[in-house]
Amino acid sequence: MLKRLILIRGIEGLMVLLLAAIPLLVNNSFVLGLLTLLAIYGILLIGLDITVGYLGLVNLAQAAFLGLGAYAAGLTVTIFGFGMLSALAVSTVIGLVMGTLIAFPSLRLDGPQFALATLSFSALSATVLNEWESLTLGAQGLQLHRPLLFGISLDAKGFYWLCLFFLGIVWIAMHNLLSSQWGRAFEALRDSPIATDAMGIGTYRHKVTAFALGSGLGGLAGGLYAFNFEYLQPHVFIYELMVILLLGVVLGGRKSLWGSFVGAVLIVLLPNLLSNRILFQFFSSTGFLFTLGAGGMALYQKKNRLFQAVAPMIAMGLLVVGSFTVQNTEDWRKAIFALMLFSVVVGLPEGLMGFTSRFLSRIFSIEAEPFAPLSGLEQVLVRKPVDGSPLLQIQELKCYFGGIKAVDGVSLTVASGTIHGLIGPNGSGKSTLVNLVSGLYVPTDGTILFHGKPLVQGSLFAVARQGICRTFQNLQLFSELTALDNVMVSMKGFYSTPLPLVLLGLAKRAEKRAEADSLALLEMVGLSGEARTAAKDLPYGAQRFLEIARAVARRPTLIILDEPAAGLAQPDVVTLLGIIRRIHQQGITVIMIEHHMEVVSGLCDIVTVLDGGKVIAEGVPDEIRRNPLVIEAYLGKGSEPPAATAECRLSPMPVPA
Amino acid sequence: MNQAVIQLMVSGALMGLVYALVAYGFQLTYATSKSINFGQGELVMLSAFFSLTLTNLGLPYYLMIPGGLLFGVVAGLFVERAGVRLALEQKSEGWILMTIILGLFGVSAAENIWGRDDRPFPTPIPTEPMQFFDISITPLEISVAIGVVMIMVIIELFKRKTLLGKAFEAVSADRDAAELMGISATRTIMLSYGLSGLVAALAGILVSPITTVGPTMASALVLKAFSVAVVAGLESGFGVVIVGLFLGSLESLTSFYVGSGWREAPGLVLLILALAVRPTGIFGKAVIRKV
Repeated sequence: MLKRLILIRGIEGLMVLLLAAIPLLVNNSFVLGLLTLLAIYGILLIGLDITVGYLGLVNLAQAAFLGLGAYAAGLTVTIFGFGMLSALAVSTVIGLVMGTLIAFPSLRLDGPQFALATLSFSALSATVLNEWESLTLGAQGLQLHRPLLFGISLDAKGFYWLCLFFLGIVWIAMHNLLSSQWGRAFEALRDSPIATDAMGIGTYRHKVTAFALGSGLGGLAGGLYAFNFEYLQPHVFIYELMVILLLGVVLGGRKSLWGSFVGAVLIVLLPNLLSNRILFQFFSSTGFLFTLGAGGMALYQKKNRLFQAVAPMIAMGLLVVGSFTVQNTEDWRKAIFALMLFSVVVGLPEGLMGFTSRFLSRIFSIEAEPFAPLSGLEQVLVRKPVDGSPLLQIQELKCYFGGIKAVDGVSLTVASGTIHGLIGPNGSGKSTLVNLVSGLYVPTDGTILFHGKPLVQGSLFAVARQGICRTFQNLQLFSELTALDNVMVSMKGFYSTPLPLVLLGLAKRAEKRAEADSLALLEMVGLSGEARTAAKDLPYGAQRFLEIARAVARRPTLIILDEPAAGLAQPDVVTLLGIIRRIHQQGITVIMIEHHMEVVSGLCDIVTVLDGGKVIAEGVPDEIRRNPLVIEAYLGKGSEPPAATAECRLSPMPVPA
Repeated sequence: MNQAVIQLMVSGALMGLVYALVAYGFQLTYATSKSINFGQGELVMLSAFFSLTLTNLGLPYYLMIPGGLLFGVVAGLFVERAGVRLALEQKSEGWILMTIILGLFGVSAAENIWGRDDRPFPTPIPTEPMQFFDISITPLEISVAIGVVMIMVIIELFKRKTLLGKAFEAVSADRDAAELMGISATRTIMLSYGLSGLVAALAGILVSPITTVGPTMASALVLKAFSVAVVAGLESGFGVVIVGLFLGSLESLTSFYVGSGWREAPGLVLLILALAVRPTGIFGKAVIRKV
């Protein structure tokens, strides 16, 4: 553990010292200018990487936040005479507030809407900065002077150190954030937004927070930008800058602080690289050879599709041809950025840092940190008192999709401390009923009472927070996360640390407890040996168990298992029975949709049978098996009741819907 | 209402039809693949430049149009192949970035091939205004309206009446089911991008005589088309026409009363408002989440 810490922190510390020392060693104002810009772009790109990298959304507004932050700082200084720090605070707050405002509408839907909204926002802010001439002086530009910092006037060197200091702070804060439950939640919602809500983590609020934070960093970078150049013009913060920023993040490497830093280096050097013909020829040729080599190798090993290997070669080939034939590279700036970005997105989607870290991890194997000692299961799942009173009461619940009456007046009561089976042929409305209770669908009519009080409707997140958690028939694991992280992230609502404390790195204790508890839950489902395995790499049965562990981690009063035995091999079914009994022992009430009659008979205290959206029978499993209505629903009219001795499996015909 | 306001609204609305046509191009590809070409404005611009070159080469108007449209189709297919297909195969949203990149390349190419200046686009259709109830409209503007409506009607008829069109609708409704029925989703998506390119090219040919052709026309057009598409919803062809007419007139009023620098603003504000109030658009349907 110590070794790992020393290595990573050591490299980071060395880097900072080196960067800070350069102006002392080299007395060159050009170099100093580049370094200052590097620090500013570093902050900006770290902010952009939160949405582009962690949330996986195309954010086209970061240049606009840079501009807004810059103007906010510039105007507070010129109009109100603010000092350095207060002006920077204003820029950051402007970024945060505008980011939040834009995030609320634009993050409601998945799909291109977010990119469109951020694009519109950029265009809108450009219009405002240009046209509100009484305030911004429009295209004429805004002149300002770098304000004092604690009464001290900073020279270029001092200001550079200030920028570097801010970069360091941002770096540490983001590192704290991303390695905390928040970072895990960001990655989780990328894999499955539905499960993120269903575990009570909250997809929307995390997306909004992430975007707002990134925008706040954009604002801060803008403030520094203003004090660096001391002159602002609206047309600087335009679409083209946006594309360059995206190029920086993608080429540097997404989901990585180092990637953002490398991206910033690239952006800073880019104009110089383009203006020097020989340098440009050299780099484009190197890039071309790299795509040839990497693409050729990938093709040879049959790892990539033809397009992925060949398209970057063509793009970089065009760049090389251009670098030797074009008269003025400045005229072709946009095309050059486009070709570079194209090759990277297609050929090297993980970016330079992703590539490098994969390469490095092959050479140096750093020992992973040992786990915290696991908690006792009894402490994690404190046994809840159960009294058989009605826990969940569904009354006359209806859900219509157009003319289809998926659930048509269902009433049922789940008693506290029971295992309640829900069976019925395909299309009988079981899944819809569960989706209604868990908040995925809004009922057309009817009420759901939980603990005797009306349950929130139509919000997975709110229902989960009230103590109802569920699993999914079609697995909704956070597939890129490890088994441990899958369970840990689900405890986010439980061990919550306020965001400012997380940024300050004060969430470590809660982290350790969440880790210890999660390990206990993994042990309960027999996966403690697989804690570090990515969920997608687990065998199918283990994935099902992991989903249950994850749902239990939220400490629900009621857990809904949607066909937990679907597709399980016989030995796994036995394990499953054990797991469900174990959960039930701790006083968690269980609702279970199931087709395997042996599972239902073996576990359920009471079974409700649905058909055609209505309840057709309810009773203990043995009664249900003999109920003529149930037999008719499954086997059709005129069927003989199956012999009681033969294992009565209602499962053969219905394949999970 | 006074005469000037009505005049502004009518000419604005006619421009709005062009936004509707570009937005319709988004809908065509969104239907089959849930993706749109962020470089659609660049497609409009490149097709217009190409058509202008054809005209300058001495091609008569009625031969230039098919030439321009063909260019649009080929460019649309290129966007699908180079920018969209890989991302769709990976089930990622990478197509957003990819189509932006292709668009950027298109702008740069246009700047260097045809120059950065706006150029007039000759047309045989007369531009002397005619008076209808004291509103002056040029035959050129009428030709834009007719062209927009005609192409949309033809494509809608194609989707409903022909076998290929039905395949298009099938893939839009349920891609997996369509594939099981032996319809190639990839080819259908190609078809939709081809059609989308055709629509973009027509928009370019129709609007250029009024606005002139230049590399900057792309971004101006595409932003408004985005607004129209989002406000109307990405599903309704009828909706984009209504919203296009509305936005066009709103924009022309804003430009006159607030200042021409602000003419983009109403569309941008509307887009964000629409997402806040009704994210699936006025004419869009709510989606049912399935698990």
